[in-house]
Amino acid sequence: MTGTKNVQIERTFDAPIDLIWSMWTEAEHFANWYGPMGAKIPKAEMDVTVGGRRHIGMEMETPNGKMQMFFIGEYREIDPKTRLVYTEAMGDADGNAMTAEQMGMPAGAPMETSVVVELEDLGNQTKMVMTHIGVPADSPGGQGWTMAIDKLEARIAELKG
Amino acid sequence: MAAASAVLDDARLDETFAALANSTRRAILAHLAHGEATVNDLAEPFDMTLPAISKHIKVLEQAGLVTRSRRAQFRPCTIAAAPLAEVADWTDQYRHIWEDRFDRMDEYVQNLQNTQDKKET
Repeated sequence: MTGTKNVQIERTFDAPIDLIWSMWTEAEHFANWYGPMGAKIPKAEMDVTVGGRRHIGMEMETPNGKMQMFFIGEYREIDPKTRLVYTEAMGDADGNAMTAEQMGMPAGAPMETSVVVELEDLGNQTKMVMTHIGVPADSPGGQGWTMAIDKLEARIAELKG
Repeated sequence: MAAASAVLDDARLDETFAALANSTRRAILAHLAHGEATVNDLAEPFDMTLPAISKHIKVLEQAGLVTRSRRAQFRPCTIAAAPLAEVADWTDQYRHIWEDRFDRMDEYVQNLQNTQDKKET
């Protein structure tokens, strides 16, 4: 059992904590770094209050034409300047969640991830720890999902070997 | 363009996951992991019509998980390992996307601070 799959990244920025906090909480700043290179963030609606909604639109050119993706979510925890927790899921242009079935997943498959941002004031520097929490192992759909992926990993190891 | 390709990879990953989100299709892949097989071979363990099985194989083909030979009359199916490896490495993919974003955040905050300094002096 692999358990929950997370990505954790630690960085120290040469900037005061107020500025780094605003990178995450002010739409204008957020849109400047969040999108991949060559992509635009035409929509960044962020109601940074506990229970507040977020709706992010991404637009990029691909060999197959323009591709648009929307992410929706909710702010769960806000400790000004030190801790921010929000959820993220695929959505549509109107901010509705896409159901598991719409995405071709089995009903009840975990569709939501969480992002946890922790900041620490180091004077003129700010230490940031970002954790992207993936498929939770203990969610109803998650168990089967994680097991399926574990099995596939084992299979791949066999294929490579 | 590492970042854009990371997101494109991400979209492809969605497709791979969608294709894998079905027990019949996973069973087909498990079968193919032992070697190539025809649609008839693959259909055998299932209580399903051949067209239904063909449909599942088509989904796997579109996701790049299965390739079909053109040479033989029965067009045997073969498993393609690369997209599976990507699924296994999805945390690596996300790590790349985030690292890239934070590079941009770093650059952006440096620029903001430089502009501010100029204004103040």
